[in-house]
Amino acid sequence: MFVINRVFLFTLMFAGCAFIRMNPAFSADTLTTSVERTPSVFNAETFTLKNGLQVVVIPNSRAPVVTHMLWIRAGAADEPESVGGAAHFIEHLMFKGTPRQKPGEYSRRVRELGGQDNAFTGHDYTAYFFTITSEHLETVMKMERERFMHLGPPKSDIASEKQVIIEERRQRTDNDPLGALTEQLRAYLYASHPYDKPIIGWMDDMKRLTWDDAVTFKNKWYIPNNMILIVSGDVTTPQMKALAQKYYGDWKAGPLPPRDRLSPPLHPANVTLDFTSGDIRQPQMMMIWLAPSYRQNPVRSRVLQVMMETLDAGAPTRLYQDFVVKRKRATAVSLSYDGDMWDDGSIWFSATPADGVSLKDLQQDFIAFLDETAKDLSEEEVKAAIKRLQHQAIYARDSVAGPAMMIGQGLTAGIPLNDIETWPNLIETVTAQDIKAVIHEMLRCTPSEICQPPMTAYITPAPQPAGVPK
Amino acid sequence: MIRGLTLLIAVLMVFGAVPAQARDAFLDIQSVTSPKGISAWLVEDHKLPIIAMAFGWQDAGAVNDPAGKSGLTRLLSNTLDEGAGPYDAQGFQAELLNNAISLSFSMGRDDFTGSLKTQTGDKAKAFDLLRLAITQPRFEPGAVKRMIDGNLARIRSDMTDPDWMATRIMNDRAFATHPYAANVGGTLSSLPHLSAADLQALHGKILARNNLKIGVMGDITAAELAAVLDQIFGGLPETAQTVAVSDLDLQHQGQTFFYTLDIPQTIIAMMMPGIKQTDPDYEAAVVMDQIMGGGGFGSRLMDVIREKAGLTYGIYTDLSELKHAAMLGVTTSTKNETLPQMLSLIKTEMARAATTGLTATEMKAAKGYLLGSMPAALTSTDRIAGILLSQQLNNRPIDDLDQYRQRLAAVTLNDVNRVAKRLLTPDRMITVLVGHPANLPDKTVPVSTLPSVE
Repeated sequence: MFVINRVFLFTLMFAGCAFIRMNPAFSADTLTTSVERTPSVFNAETFTLKNGLQVVVIPNSRAPVVTHMLWIRAGAADEPESVGGAAHFIEHLMFKGTPRQKPGEYSRRVRELGGQDNAFTGHDYTAYFFTITSEHLETVMKMERERFMHLGPPKSDIASEKQVIIEERRQRTDNDPLGALTEQLRAYLYASHPYDKPIIGWMDDMKRLTWDDAVTFKNKWYIPNNMILIVSGDVTTPQMKALAQKYYGDWKAGPLPPRDRLSPPLHPANVTLDFTSGDIRQPQMMMIWLAPSYRQNPVRSRVLQVMMETLDAGAPTRLYQDFVVKRKRATAVSLSYDGDMWDDGSIWFSATPADGVSLKDLQQDFIAFLDETAKDLSEEEVKAAIKRLQHQAIYARDSVAGPAMMIGQGLTAGIPLNDIETWPNLIETVTAQDIKAVIHEMLRCTPSEICQPPMTAYITPAPQPAGVPK
Repeated sequence: MIRGLTLLIAVLMVFGAVPAQARDAFLDIQSVTSPKGISAWLVEDHKLPIIAMAFGWQDAGAVNDPAGKSGLTRLLSNTLDEGAGPYDAQGFQAELLNNAISLSFSMGRDDFTGSLKTQTGDKAKAFDLLRLAITQPRFEPGAVKRMIDGNLARIRSDMTDPDWMATRIMNDRAFATHPYAANVGGTLSSLPHLSAADLQALHGKILARNNLKIGVMGDITAAELAAVLDQIFGGLPETAQTVAVSDLDLQHQGQTFFYTLDIPQTIIAMMMPGIKQTDPDYEAAVVMDQIMGGGGFGSRLMDVIREKAGLTYGIYTDLSELKHAAMLGVTTSTKNETLPQMLSLIKTEMARAATTGLTATEMKAAKGYLLGSMPAALTSTDRIAGILLSQQLNNRPIDDLDQYRQRLAAVTLNDVNRVAKRLLTPDRMITVLVGHPANLPDKTVPVSTLPSVE
């Protein structure tokens, strides 16, 4: 099996939808050092350098190790229409050297010091990270400064790296019969909003990418007042104040480019994608709704999070009990919500049919399930779900890299740090009535500000079995 | 509820200020033995109110699948937590969920393993659920059928994954004639015939006290753990009856197998004989592997094939070991058109390393990483418990991690180059290709059906 290195592209957002148990809105109060007195999950401390670089420190002295992450509040959805894939291309080129740093030297040096480094690109963010023993933190920050300030790879390395990202696309998307379908789903769901394109870029766009496209993206968005430094582990806030000031304090702030994105257009009709392929053996159906992100609607977003835990927290909860155990309509089901986006998020249902159940029937079953739930969901079920989420919160501390990742994703999706820290309290007020109201909208969707009809995808094996020599 | 949470958070706020302790030993492992003679390795850590336990039974893996019943051991790992003692499947899962306890079972070719993670406040419940799962599983027909159906769907989904296909073909060919060649996940035809009685019989044989190893990390003392071990595991039979398996030399060395799939890239998997952890040159081999491709970025293969030639998104080498075989593997992929170039580069680089050797600079960097990255493994409770378990499953002594550090540090360039010559043997490589390449190497053997899948 492959160890996936550089870039866990979240191209499979529909399939992934890791429901991050925290909440998504950017407000001025995130830029202060004032300490909140509410119980917090991570006990993160934050301050902002004069150039606008926000720094978040999550002290954790369990092992002599730190994770250092630089997040840029810009990703694939911030590219000009004509240069799809530039955000991801520059992320790769950041490892290819400066006049004083040979291509690959950054990673080689980090390895030599016992560290791990990598980077990844999303629609709304780009992030660079390393994990290393705390004694070497400063050494790597010095190299970080060098590549962020003086990036300049040799021409031959730019050319070979372009081939690398094209191979990456082939490996992650084109080799997977469901890869193209996932891209098509996204294209329809977000039509004309920039989330409609794959983060890595369409193949034709990628072939046209140049160094100018990549570096223009960097110059526009990689400015300290558009970045967040998150350091988790064996380090203190006073130490980080000194280090961040020393190495990143002189990065020049610039005019913050506006995020000029259209809203996804409102579709009046249901959209159904019917996909039949000889390379597929396992039938599957999916339904996808657009849903507000946390930044767009924090209250609604929290309802959706609690709703997912209430209905689908695994075997003992409603969705699995209904489809797999009681009525035996499916062998696997999942329902998830992704609200960690700057713009619209999504709700995603998928099911693997039991023998003899058609995908169309399964779709009707899910509608019926929602109908039923809107009628008889009990307050106890919801209270139990909230209690579970609160109970699990402590596990979030049992990691060094995990908290940096969660806080970075939240902040770049516009969620205030205070909301990320206090989500166990914030979800307390969600009721069964709130969830029923959301389900009503999902069922009786007419185009409106927060609702449009769902998309359905049917994935069916073609009669010819896979792997027959051609 | 909220008060409880606030309390936990308050505890967290305090330990944030405690400085990291200087450690002499890499991990301060205690050996704990219960009144009934069940022993475990423990790393006590009271900074977080979390306890993780990793446990495993040696030789209780898929090699125990009876003839015609492939997938049975895996199915056992799926069904132990599907109802036990007084709880039916839903009841058991609800107890886990509502107490924020994670319990899971897994298996490989050799061993059967499991892990438990709980908060201190829920430990009594957690330990009792584990006891029930391993000593009183119900194997109710409905639950068994659900798990079989889930496995069938998993196999059909895997059948569209080219990496999975390459691995399946490799295991079938490299381990041919040996129980390791079987599909541990079962087949589309074997799984539907597995029954509760099969599970009951297997369960009675393989999970015992004399093949049990346990690693514990977190908020529990040695005295408390000793008592807990008897409570949880005391009811298991004394002696396991596992299947005896012989050692294996990799089969089909030097051959290339090819499976046609209409995808733009060809998946490449390679395997050649590896080295056992007990070999005096093992640490030198770890350094060699790190230099060649174990380390990802900065490794020789990654540098030549990805960074310079742009032929792939990734290429990795991997030293791995089963109880009866040791392997050195290579995994990568490239667009169909560049397959010949890719295969030739990999072989050339291996031959070059074997004949002209690796450099002192490369060795220094590799050792720097291998030694320097060890503390990064100590950042989560369950990960540490997992290390404690795998060390025991591999029959390593309790101070082995410290000895390993010393052995690694003592490796010389001569050692590395000697082992490079011994292990980097492109002529002994078994190669599996899955894709639609224009040009295939000479004497490639076509594979028409995925082995042990249908």
